[in-house]
Amino acid sequence: MNYLLPVRLDRLAREYALGTLAGPARRRFERVVRSSAAASMAVDVWRRRLSVLDLAAAPVQPPESTWQGIERRLFSGPNQSASTATPIGGALQALRVGMEPRFDALPASYVGVLLDPVGKAALVASSRRQGRQLTVKLLQPLNVPAGHVAQMWALPKDGAAPFPVGVIPAQGTSRLALPDTSEKLFFNVSRLAVSFEKAPSNAGDAPAGAYALIGNCVKVW
Amino acid sequence: MPATESLAELLARVALRDRRAFEGLYRATSAHLFSVSLRILRNEGRADEVLQESYVSIWHHAAGYHAAAGTPMTWMINIVRNKSIDLLRARRTEVASTTEIGDEALNVAADSAGEPQQLLDDSLIKAKIAECMRTLSSQQRQALALAYYRGMVHTDIASALNAPLGTAKGWVRRGLDQLKSCLEAAGVSGV
Repeated sequence: MNYLLPVRLDRLAREYALGTLAGPARRRFERVVRSSAAASMAVDVWRRRLSVLDLAAAPVQPPESTWQGIERRLFSGPNQSASTATPIGGALQALRVGMEPRFDALPASYVGVLLDPVGKAALVASSRRQGRQLTVKLLQPLNVPAGHVAQMWALPKDGAAPFPVGVIPAQGTSRLALPDTSEKLFFNVSRLAVSFEKAPSNAGDAPAGAYALIGNCVKVW
Repeated sequence: MPATESLAELLARVALRDRRAFEGLYRATSAHLFSVSLRILRNEGRADEVLQESYVSIWHHAAGYHAAAGTPMTWMINIVRNKSIDLLRARRTEVASTTEIGDEALNVAADSAGEPQQLLDDSLIKAKIAECMRTLSSQQRQALALAYYRGMVHTDIASALNAPLGTAKGWVRRGLDQLKSCLEAAGVSGV
């Protein structure tokens, strides 16, 4: 059966989103949704429509034991933090609990997590405190307009003018050479951002337009 | 409901394995998600089990959230609805040979999570499409409410509303068609 014929797809998507699609048909359609962007989008559209039916739902507080159960399931196993957490997550956790083994923590670093306009994490930037390289990892491809470059900026916390950090690629992971150590460059920086510029920016330049990505820059130590 | 913007930020941090953000997300959303599961399962123990599984899933799949799936709350509600529906149906299969299926699944007595019909009406008012949705018959609205809030399939709805199966299917279909039309007429963004 061709699930992707528009009329059929819409019918299946709405029945799936509502919940009335049942049994083997539900399982089969779930497999289609996992493998087809069109099917996934059709389900999303119906879920968004149906979401208005939750607007008046009264919250019911779950027992405190629920949270404890979740923590137990996720974090109580041996070596759990090392096996499931990303390096950044491990470091942030280490900061909080203060009891992680030293080898499990990141070295002193600056870390930035930049979000796109809809609030989705789009880029992670990290650099050792005394390092001269900034590692940039795109979590989703950046749609750089033709004839432009993606320029990263550092935004000082005192409201001073942003200064250019470097040009980043549209996807993947890369390392930018920094003109000085992170400590000197980012000590007073609270946020990082990316804008699209017609050419790489130089010291003293200002961003030409709105930021495509922006997020906090924090010290990890 | 919690602000979408702050939930999106919490979810982004959870994607980076930030446990504090995860707890913040839990505190901000668990009461809403618990009510979703309770409405479908109508059993606190099972709703609790589903809620725990759902947050484990949210922790593991937070990076997979994308704005096209709706708000973070919509995305999370659907994780909980899916798991609740799966458990409801698995359990019904399990007890089918010894229990009258209808007794549990069709009991629509008042509970702490609210009556489907009232919840539907109140939500439509908040969505500013109540007037538009009044062109549906009360049975069509009830069929939609039972499917969405109780996780009922067409045969359940037909039994609950004492109607032939084909009629119940038609009510649900008509309810969804009208919901789509009303949202489009109201210009609800993203729909």
